[in-house]
Parts: sequence; C-alpha cells; structure tokens
Amino acid sequence: MSTGFFVDRDSLLRRLHPVTRILLLMLAFTAALVVQHPLFLLPLWVFFLMVGWSAGALPGLRRVWWLLFLVGLASFLIWTFAFGGHDTLFVAGPLRATRQGVVFGAGMGLRLGLMMFAGLIFLTCTPVEEFSRGLTDLGLPFAVSFALSLSFRLAPLFGDTFRTILEAQRARGLREGRGLGRLTIYVPLFAPVFASALRRADLLAMALEGKGFGYTRERGSLSEWRYGWRDYLLVAGLLLLVVGLMVVRFLGYGGVSR
Amino acid sequence: MDAFRLDGVSFRYRGAERPALSAVSLAAAPGSRVGIIGLTGAGKSTLLRCLNRTVPAGFKGEFSGRVLLFDEDIAGRRPSALAATTGLVFQDFDSQLFSSAAELDVAFGPENLGLAGADIRVRVTAALAAVGLSGFERRDPATLSGGQKQRLAIATVLALSPRLLCLDEPTTDLDPQGRAEVAALLGRLAGGGITVALAEHEAELLVGLDRIVGLAGGKVTADLDGATALADAGLLRGLGVRPPDAVALAERLGLSSLPADPSAAAGAVPAAGFSVRPGGGEIFQDADRAAAGSEGAAVIEVDGLEHLYRGGQGLRGVSLSVRRGEFVAVLGRNGSGKTTLVKHFNGLLRPTAGEVRIDGRPAGRLRPDELGRRIGFVFQDPDHQIFAGRVFDEVAFAPRNHGLSEAEVAARTARALELVGLQSAVDADPFVLTKGERQRVALASVLAAEPEVLIFDEPTTGLDYPAQVAVMNLLTELNRQGRTVIVITHAIWVAAEYARRVVTLDGGRVVADGPARAVLRDSGLMSTAGLAVPGVAAIGAALGVPAITVDELASALERR
Repeated sequence: MSTGFFVDRDSLLRRLHPVTRILLLMLAFTAALVVQHPLFLLPLWVFFLMVGWSAGALPGLRRVWWLLFLVGLASFLIWTFAFGGHDTLFVAGPLRATRQGVVFGAGMGLRLGLMMFAGLIFLTCTPVEEFSRGLTDLGLPFAVSFALSLSFRLAPLFGDTFRTILEAQRARGLREGRGLGRLTIYVPLFAPVFASALRRADLLAMALEGKGFGYTRERGSLSEWRYGWRDYLLVAGLLLLVVGLMVVRFLGYGGVSR
Repeated sequence: MDAFRLDGVSFRYRGAERPALSAVSLAAAPGSRVGIIGLTGAGKSTLLRCLNRTVPAGFKGEFSGRVLLFDEDIAGRRPSALAATTGLVFQDFDSQLFSSAAELDVAFGPENLGLAGADIRVRVTAALAAVGLSGFERRDPATLSGGQKQRLAIATVLALSPRLLCLDEPTTDLDPQGRAEVAALLGRLAGGGITVALAEHEAELLVGLDRIVGLAGGKVTADLDGATALADAGLLRGLGVRPPDAVALAERLGLSSLPADPSAAAGAVPAAGFSVRPGGGEIFQDADRAAAGSEGAAVIEVDGLEHLYRGGQGLRGVSLSVRRGEFVAVLGRNGSGKTTLVKHFNGLLRPTAGEVRIDGRPAGRLRPDELGRRIGFVFQDPDHQIFAGRVFDEVAFAPRNHGLSEAEVAARTARALELVGLQSAVDADPFVLTKGERQRVALASVLAAEPEVLIFDEPTTGLDYPAQVAVMNLLTELNRQGRTVIVITHAIWVAAEYARRVVTLDGGRVVADGPARAVLRDSGLMSTAGLAVPGVAAIGAALGVPAITVDELASALERR
C-alpha cells in the first residue's frame, strides 16, 4: 500500500518515531498559520525546502508543483480583491485591488503552499502503516487508524476499477459528451464499481479476520519504535520556532494590517 | 486425531435456492494434502470457509452440523480466534495484500496475535524463506509479479504458523510460470507436516496430493487417493478439471494409464503396442496449409508500435498484421504487454510511437464508435462490462450507441443472445446469473455491434473445464462464420486446441509469431517467454509426431 509519494530511503525524518513526525507536521502547519507576511513566510519556505531535500521530497514536489501553484495563485487573486485595505492599486468594476490585499494574498498563497508541502514531506518519509501506528500511539483505536490507512489502499484500487469499467463501455461505443452531460453518462457506471467494491470489501473482511484481526487488544509490532534524543530535539526546535513566531506576531510583526 | 472433520455439515446462503453444502461428512489426517474439486458452484469455497468458520460467522444463512479442527469443536469461535489454526488463502491476491512492504503484510497476522517484535521478525523471515521470497522484505507488493504476489499471500498466512492451510483456487489469475511457482511451493510445504486443503480446477496443482475429494451440488461424490483420481480422465472432466495430457491420451488409446512425465509416456506408448501410423508425422501439415490459405486480407496492421506507461515501457517496436478470418492466440507471462497490445486495436490506448491501421486507415483517425463497430473487445471480468439491470438493455447498449433504429437494435440483440444461447434470459437481471452466463452476456453485448474482429482477454479464466470448452467452442463457431478472433490467454491448451496462429510477447516485444504448431512446439522459445510446451506436444516430439493436441496425437497412432 502506498500513497504514491512514499520513498523508502534513509533520512533523519524517516528515523524519527511516527508520533514525532505527526507532531512535527502539526507544528509545521501551526508555524505557517501564525505569520501572514510573505517576508516571514519566504524564510520558512527556504527552511522547508531544505528539509524536503534531505527527506527526498523534491521529486514528489516536481509532480505536484502545479497544484501548489494553482492553489497559491487562486488564493492570491481572491485575497488581492477580498482583503480590503486603504492603498487602492486599481478598480475593476465592483472589484478593488489594494496593496495590503496583494501582500496578504501572496502571503496566503505561500501559507497554503507551505502547508501542502509540509504534508508532502510527511508522506514522503511516512508509509501509511507508520502513520497508522503514530495515530494509535496518540490514542486513536487501532481499528480506526487501520481503517484510515486502508482508505489509502482502496481509493486507487477503486479508481483503477472505474477506469477499467469505463474502458469496457468505451469499447462498446460509449459517447461521453462534455461537462454535466459527461457526469450523467458516468452515473450508471457506478453500479459495477460499487458491486466490485462490495466484493472486495467482503474478501478483505474475510482476509483480515482470517489473519486474526481483532483477536487481542494488545497488538504486537514488527517495528519497535522508541523515542530518541533526535525526536525530543526536533520537536523542541520546531516548538521553539512556533513560539518565536507567536512572540513576533504578539510584538506586532509578521502580520498584514488593513 | 483428525486435522479436520466435518460431520453432516450443511449450509444454505441466505436467499439461495439450494444449499451450498449438503450433509457433508469428511475428515483428513494431520499432514495430509487433500484436493477438493468440482464444477463452479459445487461448494468448494464454502467447504474451505467452514474450516476457519468464516462460514457461518461471516455469512448469513442456515448452518447445521459440526466442524472439528484437531478434535476441537469450533462452534461459536470467531474466525480471528482460529487464525493460528487455519490459514485461508484466496484466489484474489490483491485483496489479501494491503501494506507498503512485503514484510509488513507478512507481519500483520503475528502482530494481531500480540507477539513480541523479535518473535514476529523470526516468523516473517521464516515465512518469506518458505515461499522463496527472502530478500523481498522491503519490496512494495504492488511491484511483484502475479506468482510472487500469490506466494506472498501464502506467506502472510504461514506466518501465523497454522496447522491447516486452505487454498481456494490460488493460481486462477497466474501465468504458467506463476502457477509452477505455487505448485513448487505446495510441494515444499508437504514435508513440513502442515495439513493442506486445496480447491483447484488445474490438474497441475493436484499432482502429488494424497487425496482428491469431488463435490457436486454441495455433496461429496468422490473421495479417492490422489494418483487414482488423477488417472481417471472421465472423473476429472465431470468434476470440472481438464485431465493432464498423458491421462487424456491414455483414455483415447484405451490404456489404463500413462506416466505423467512426457519422455516416460513416450516410452510407454510403444511398449503398450502402439506405433506411429505411416505418414502420421506429416498428417497435420496439409490441414495447417489449408487453414492458412483460407484467410483474407490484413484487417489490423501494426507498425513499429511503442507504448510508454508512466511506470515503464509497455511495448517496444511491435510490428504484425492480422488477416481477416484468422484465429490468433496472444501468449506471454503476466506483464509481457499482451493486453497493452490489443487495446491499441480498438483505440483504448494510443501509441507513444508507431502506428496501428484498421483496414488500411490509421486507428487514431477513426471515431471511437466506428472502431467499436469493427473491433469488439470482451474484457476478462464480465462484471467490469455489465451495468444494466436487464440482459436486453445490456446487450442493446452497443447498437443503441451506434445510433441504430429500435427495430434494428431489437433484431441484433435477439441474434446476439441466440448466438450465446441466452434467448430465454432476455428479461433477467444480469447480476443474478452465474459467472459463465454473465460472461456470455458480456460476449453478446459485444456481438450485438456485429464487429468483424473479436478480441477476448482471458476468456477461460475462472471457469471450470466444461465452461471453458463451451466458451471456446462458441468462439470457434464465430470464427467459422467469418469473424476474426484474437484471444489473450495463459492456457497453453487453449492456444493449441483452438488457435491457428500464436503471437508470443515477452518484455513488450514480439518474440514469436507463426503457426500455432511451430510456436508451441519450440521448447526453447516457450521457456524464454515463461511458458511451457503442451504436455502432449512433448510426448509427440519424442515419438516423432508434431502433434499439439491429444486428438491429433491419438489419430497419428495405431495399434500394431
């Protein structure tokens, strides 16, 4: 099972306890949310690019850069006009672009991109089993975290099944049309997709039970994870960064005012 | 002590007309290997599910009788509580592998038992070694071949150290090499003291078993030692298993038996008083020449075809042509590029380089519905094709897409259903039909477009032997009526008995393309492509007869 981004290579992040990686992800999100100004977010981007490089996440970034770019661009455009502010740059009909809006929009684009990139780094160095293990150690019942990890496995399988079914209908001259018409054509095809999904779910349930799933509450683990000094150091470091950014905001820097 | 004992076990699935199992009483000694055979729907899977109590625990229905494992009555136990006693492996390996690394899949069971990490590591290492996958610990299961995946699925169960291993048609989706890998693994497990119960349609997997139990209509109808059962061609056929070639030849020659090994069988034939009749070595060549001459002009031409997937090269410089009226079998191991190749014929895939022409026109310039009218494609799993709630609507789908009048649609639908023998099911819901019937619905739904060329992706997979013969006879009849037939198959006997031409792919390249007789008898080439020469061809070669089917070889022999 793979999310498609996981790279099985040794790195500092890969050696950390799964719980540490989840905490670092949460702290990275928080850091991105604390500051608004691009001048504060750009150094964070540089820092995360270095972390991403060390974790081997840059090939993954090359695959999805367009998504980050589109999200950033959309956010920039929306906030340029929606943020408000007193320095008007230009007016286009009912829309008014302001200097503060441009700065906030750019910051928001960088912020969203940063959060997505942090998620990408996490997926690059964390197979879903370790994600599941981390969630379990944080107190989530194993059945819930395992079901979550299974969804990573089943989503692409259902996608494959849908593509096969679509091919079978195309081979019989299915006319797909465009826009909403296309969606209408696809609706009946969900019948075999669901039938296939149900069959798979049945088999999966049998396979899981047959392998003792739920036999005991005290599950063992092939990988014995222990917290090491690196775990404590990195969590403390990132926590310090977040607190530092909060202090900076409290002192009146790093934000964008109208 | 018995490894397992069923006392009068009956089970009827909720809503089913008849019981899947009916008063079955059966026992097996510890360490024995039992084959369970029977036609589709005979109750094989249900019987195996009873042995880890998935039936009745996981299925609604009426259960009666007793199941004992190693003298312990398992009534009321959960299947998960029996995981360390009974391991159950299914035919669909993808449903049993759900981790990002092979070792994690194998560790899943021992982890559920709550073992310590060091003990789990020992079990993982031993299970992977037992199935010949040492060194694959960190491999993503998705990147393994079909045979490796199925062996990994078996390892995930072996890691639980079960005393009873149940396998439900574990080689259905595998190529000959994958089947051989699983057969070799079962042979290795035999020495380990584990009891094996194997439901199977392939005779190859049944060789060497201690016992073979036949089921029909949910009842035990045969219970013989393995060697006796495997030597009885009639019994095997009646229970859905294609007899090994040596057994079928012995039956045709009126002999009680022939050794399974081809060279030993070739030696036994003259010893039994048979010799090659005069001219017997050449009698097929005239028929081959006549058949080759009956084919028309090229309908599909492929020139320097390349296809690049994101994960790697699918096809590398494939060039060939298919003439009108041909019956072509496309062979090759899993992932060799067979399906990728034929999907270019009806425009489901576009070439990365090179060209495909249909009747001289580039396929890329033909509209999808125009291609669909000329080239019909029947997918391996009929359930990927069927979506309508009524057989009529399913079969009428293609002609309606082609914009025909309702009268013409009705006429074509009726003709297609008649061809596949499903006229009486016109108003039935396709999803309540048997798999064999659903396959015929899928075929009819392609036939209704009345294409000149019919492409079939693994038409015999998952069917018992009589159903396989029925579907192949139907394709032969369609070919006789003038349609060009292209069949992708892993079943070498299908290519030998039905195809006149064989195209073999390996690593995305065509490694052989010629008359079926020439390609299938070339042991070096077949071995390179991960395939095997038909057993009867090997016997024939030793006798100096270029036969590739049992009928051919029998007709070339006479009693001295």
